[in-house]
Amino acid sequence: MATNKIKVDALVVGGGISGMQTALDLADQGYQVALVEKEASIGGKMIALSKVFPTLDCCSCITTPKMSAVAHQENITLLTYCEVDHIKQNGKGFIVGATNKPRYVDMDLCTGCRQCEYVCPVDLKNPFDNNLGAIRAIRVPFSTAVPQKVVLDIDNCILCGKCQTACAVDAIDFTQQPEEIMIETDSILLATGFEVTPKDAKKEYGNGKLLNVIDGLDMERLLAPTGPYGHVLRPSDGKEPDSIAYVQCAGSRDETLGVEYCSRVCCMYAIKQAMLLSGALPLADITIYYMDIRAFGKGYEQFYQNAKAMGIQFIKGKVAKIKEDENQNPVFRVEMVDEGGSVVEHTHDLAVLSVGMLPSFDPTPIFNVPNDTDGFIMTPDQNFSASLTMIPGIFAAGAATGPMDIVDSIMTAGSAASAASAYIKSQQNGKEESSSKIADLQKESQHA
Amino acid sequence: MPEKKDLQKDNEDIRIGVYTCYCGGNISDIVDCEKVRELTETLPNVVVSRTDMSMCSDAGQAMIEEDIRKHGVNRVVIGACAPSLHEQTFRGAVARAGLNPFLYYHVGIREQDSWVHHGNHEAATEKAIVLMNSGLAKARLLKPLKPIKLTAQKHALVIGGGVAGLRSAWDIANQDIKVTLVEKSPFLGGRMAQLETVFPTNKPARDSLHELIEKVIDHPSITIHTQAEVKSMSGYIGDFNIKIEQISRGVSSELADQEAVIDSCPVEVSDEFNYGLKTRKAIYQAYPGNFPSTLAIDWENCTLCGKCEKVNSSGIDLKKKSEIIDVNVGAVVVATGFKPYEPRQGEYGYGDFKEVITLPQMIRLLALNGKDKALMFKGRTVRNIGLIHCVGSRHVPGIHEPQEDGKVNDYCSRVCCTATLHMTNDIRQHYPDVNMYDVYEDIRTYGRNHEEYYKQASENLVRFVRFQAAEGPQVFASENGNDQPLVIKTKDYLTAGLDIEIPVDLVVLSVGFMPNPIEELTKILKINPGNDRFLQEVHPKLRPVETAVSGIILAGTAQGPMNIQESVTAASAAASKVSVLLGQGQVELEPFVADVDHDKCNGSGECVQVCPYEDAISLEEVTINGKVCKRAVVIPANCVGCGSCVSACPNRAIDIQGWTLGQYESMVDAIAEGMLALEVSA
Ligand SMILES: Cc1cc2nc3c(=O)[nH]c(=O)nc-3n(C[C@H](O)[C@H](O)[C@H](O)COP(=O)(O)OP(=O)(O)OC[C@H]3O[C@@H](n4cnc5c(N)ncnc54)[C@H](O)[C@@H]3O)c2cc1C
Ligand SMILES: Cc1cc2nc3c(=O)[nH]c(=O)nc-3n(C[C@H](O)[C@H](O)[C@H](O)COP(=O)(O)OP(=O)(O)OC[C@H]3O[C@@H](n4cnc5c(N)ncnc54)[C@H](O)[C@@H]3O)c2cc1C
Ligand code: SF4
Ligand code: SF4
Repeated sequence: MATNKIKVDALVVGGGISGMQTALDLADQGYQVALVEKEASIGGKMIALSKVFPTLDCCSCITTPKMSAVAHQENITLLTYCEVDHIKQNGKGFIVGATNKPRYVDMDLCTGCRQCEYVCPVDLKNPFDNNLGAIRAIRVPFSTAVPQKVVLDIDNCILCGKCQTACAVDAIDFTQQPEEIMIETDSILLATGFEVTPKDAKKEYGNGKLLNVIDGLDMERLLAPTGPYGHVLRPSDGKEPDSIAYVQCAGSRDETLGVEYCSRVCCMYAIKQAMLLSGALPLADITIYYMDIRAFGKGYEQFYQNAKAMGIQFIKGKVAKIKEDENQNPVFRVEMVDEGGSVVEHTHDLAVLSVGMLPSFDPTPIFNVPNDTDGFIMTPDQNFSASLTMIPGIFAAGAATGPMDIVDSIMTAGSAASAASAYIKSQQNGKEESSSKIADLQKESQHA
Repeated sequence: MPEKKDLQKDNEDIRIGVYTCYCGGNISDIVDCEKVRELTETLPNVVVSRTDMSMCSDAGQAMIEEDIRKHGVNRVVIGACAPSLHEQTFRGAVARAGLNPFLYYHVGIREQDSWVHHGNHEAATEKAIVLMNSGLAKARLLKPLKPIKLTAQKHALVIGGGVAGLRSAWDIANQDIKVTLVEKSPFLGGRMAQLETVFPTNKPARDSLHELIEKVIDHPSITIHTQAEVKSMSGYIGDFNIKIEQISRGVSSELADQEAVIDSCPVEVSDEFNYGLKTRKAIYQAYPGNFPSTLAIDWENCTLCGKCEKVNSSGIDLKKKSEIIDVNVGAVVVATGFKPYEPRQGEYGYGDFKEVITLPQMIRLLALNGKDKALMFKGRTVRNIGLIHCVGSRHVPGIHEPQEDGKVNDYCSRVCCTATLHMTNDIRQHYPDVNMYDVYEDIRTYGRNHEEYYKQASENLVRFVRFQAAEGPQVFASENGNDQPLVIKTKDYLTAGLDIEIPVDLVVLSVGFMPNPIEELTKILKINPGNDRFLQEVHPKLRPVETAVSGIILAGTAQGPMNIQESVTAASAAASKVSVLLGQGQVELEPFVADVDHDKCNGSGECVQVCPYEDAISLEEVTINGKVCKRAVVIPANCVGCGSCVSACPNRAIDIQGWTLGQYESMVDAIAEGMLALEVSA
């Protein structure tokens, strides 16, 4: 295995909105930054969303220019399809070993023309569309991917060789091997984001087996202009749904799942989707079953009130169970809190689970960066330095430190960059002062 | 169209690339972008005309770059979202391809077209074509420009000495940038100093606050002015000239017998630190242990009776002095914080019944009461407390009365839910026998570890009662004979909308956040509040801490309700921004400033008279063809490109670079022509 070595001031792990913003904030201050992303493109969960609350900006309009800025910022070394394997303390800095996974495509040669993709005979479920649409075994991950290079899914490739013939620049290489990279860095920023509650987490909601029970991310793709069908259709029969219902807190605030926290974004994304749906399907009835509506951010309450005024129905009720009838319509059993807890059944055409946020990456097998009881990275000094982890020199930002929306993620990215910059400066200037301040803070919070 | 042909002939080397963006459907759902492309493709000088789902994506930008490199495109016209969003993005792409970035013109066809003409696809498409046409007209006349490069002061001003201001000062100073911090009151710490233990750490607020304050005070690059306010500002990013007015403290830091001095003062005024639950003197400290530790004289209330001076003549100076301090800074951080909502007379009985207080008052009451004895209020033991949420927040027009300025407080204050529940847990711990009733609409314990407070409150047997906005709770005096002075009446939607009555000794109103009154400051800085009166960022996702004035940055609750963690995070993010702006010691300004043609200028000086800015334009002696004469000269850094001089000049000698009269005329002509063509075809 060939080993490349690079030396940087900061290593950012994760190329979602938080990681991109952290990397840009540091690079714009003149620091050398390496950004490692495990997927074939940066963008994170955000790039797959439709429009975003509370401004209803189209998501690409916000995300793609950031992705482009990362790609063009000279101080950033972008390593996609790459994973961190081990971290070693190196004085006050770190030595990080990472592996570039084989894309089976020569990155320098590939022009992103997609000729190979057009000829590939293998159709697979498209992970970018949450498995709703189809994609080829060799493909650009999605239309606005950065880098615009193809990646080959070797597990599903039938080695027919059509792509190799189609490629004009001879970029496809079935024999490509993983490549090791050593990154020497003064600081590490974890921006590894979140995963959503799996659809089968709750038995009561059909165990992931009911076709017309989808989750919030599925709905994002159905609503996105780049989505799989270009329409909102229900999975069982491809019909346009007339009655859509949201189940709030599906996987959050739920002791039976061991997730006691609120996921913070699902109220708002459900309201947003409901608004977008009333545009896409003007005749459809939309109902949101909730316990508390948590529209707490700037402009969010006003957004919620607008949704009410648009005729979206909010029912304070606990959805105890979802079954399906003979037409595969989801049938809800709801405890109507506002009506003194009476239990009723409501039938809808399509159910959307407002799934919550779970941690996506556990660093402990690689390095002792402890997690908190909620599974997200522990940030002991919650009030004063919410980006500091238990390890001096390692910082965290965005949804890696607990559920949060895009606005809050971007704020934490700026603050993590600020903390990391102070740490790097103190190391490089040999100025102990401010670094010892940070170390103090960290020590202190370890005692707390 | 003969003129067009002529134009083409004059500008044989003009090669325009036209790009119409779908904006992921935002534009293309309404405007027929392909039609725009087809029509623009045939126009003079246009070499390529293209569309894309998302022009701002890397692929979209790469396409433009390739056209510049391979097809010799030397003018770029992009029809997309508003220029405020992505003009910078595209300038970057154009520059990367080796073309001067100002040879690109941006046409807004989303905010100005597709978003406002929803119902009318055809008209929207026609409008897009007309707008693109006028953009093309301008593009033919674009000239390369150079941004104005200036050295930046590595020095920032932070306004407000609350936790957000303190934290940004510390973070900025750690980036090797000097900081001047001004605080209006005599003491540092802001609202956080008035809290006891805080969520989610449960640590005493002042302990952690004091640590931060000590670090800030000790930092060699930070200068602090208390009792100080910004009085004027001129200049621009990188080089603002600020005048700060500093009022004298009246008390020397050497003053020894503080207590005797305070005792001697005969003036008693409401103590704002304890939200009026106590009084204080006119020579005072906010609280024992405050920073700075020197007493201060409250000039508004001091009667100059001189009694304190008699106790200690050397440490006190009753002559109020004001000093103006000039600072020259590269950026300004506004961290002026919030004030708790003050309920109207009669709102939930506030002001009518003495037993109705606000949450911040209750926090002070608990602190003043002490923990080892029964909870007392105005001489009565408190056994039943009613808590009402969303007071001054989440108001709905038509249901709630507007505020004095006619606006309805329609936002959620985000902190009050968790702060209220945190307090109930505190009460339960120290006063196990008190009954608590929490009257709410939604419980918003959203943050990391916040839900825990909700759970604990339930375990602590806080009785929850849920109302709906249209039928909010009301507070009445109890009927005679009831030993509780007040009763809360409401419908409870946790019990099927039953009407219930809760007799209580004390009603605590969970009041929301209002911005501090800073109208004067916002005028000086030329920044704007949003609809909710809090200061407005440029874009919540793209530029979340920046204002419309470059170099003026927001931090903390001046921008909207936030808890401590969020205020501190925002403050650090603001510091990052300042460091990005000033760290390299240089800033770039857009070149859209006045430019004088000295051949046409005759030195009449109308321009100098109308210019509203200082030192932007003046008459100077210049030598033209060996002759010394007066001509108007512009200092680009001070010019904002407002165009006043352009309209005043009798000789048409002045133009704003990038927005010349010739360019305007060509655009207007193109629009008129387009409209005419539409009328003819209709
Ligand atoms: C259905 C839904 C709708 C939403 N709608 C909105 C909305 O309208 N508005 C809004 O503000 N927010 C919305 N959100 C929230 C938004 O998605 C998050 O706030 C945001 O994506 C968080 O960004 P992040 O960068 O922290 O995490 P992520 O987006 O999860 O990015 C993390 C990145 O790190 C990478 N990564 C993870 N582990 C590793 C590793 N070990 N090595 C290398 N890379 C790694 C991942 O591949 C990913 O690219 C929504 C969320 C959901 C689920
Ligand atoms: C009742 C209550 C309970 C709370 N409990 C908690 C809790 O438990 N946990 C938690 O995390 N948060 C809590 N908070 C929130 C917390 O108080 C705020 O997040 C924090 O104080 C905000 O800090 P700031 O610096 O933005 O504003 P502030 O604290 O308001 O500071 C602003 C400073 O700017 C100064 N200033 C204003 N105008 C000018 C001017 N023109 N020129 C110069 N200086 C000026 C002011 O004098 C002040 O010192 C609570 C808030 C309330 C109301
Ligand atoms: S944000 Fe709303 S839906 Fe999501 S967990 Fe919190 S309360 Fe439930
Ligand atoms: S945080 Fe709670 S009490 Fe405060 S305004 Fe929002 S919902 Fe109301």
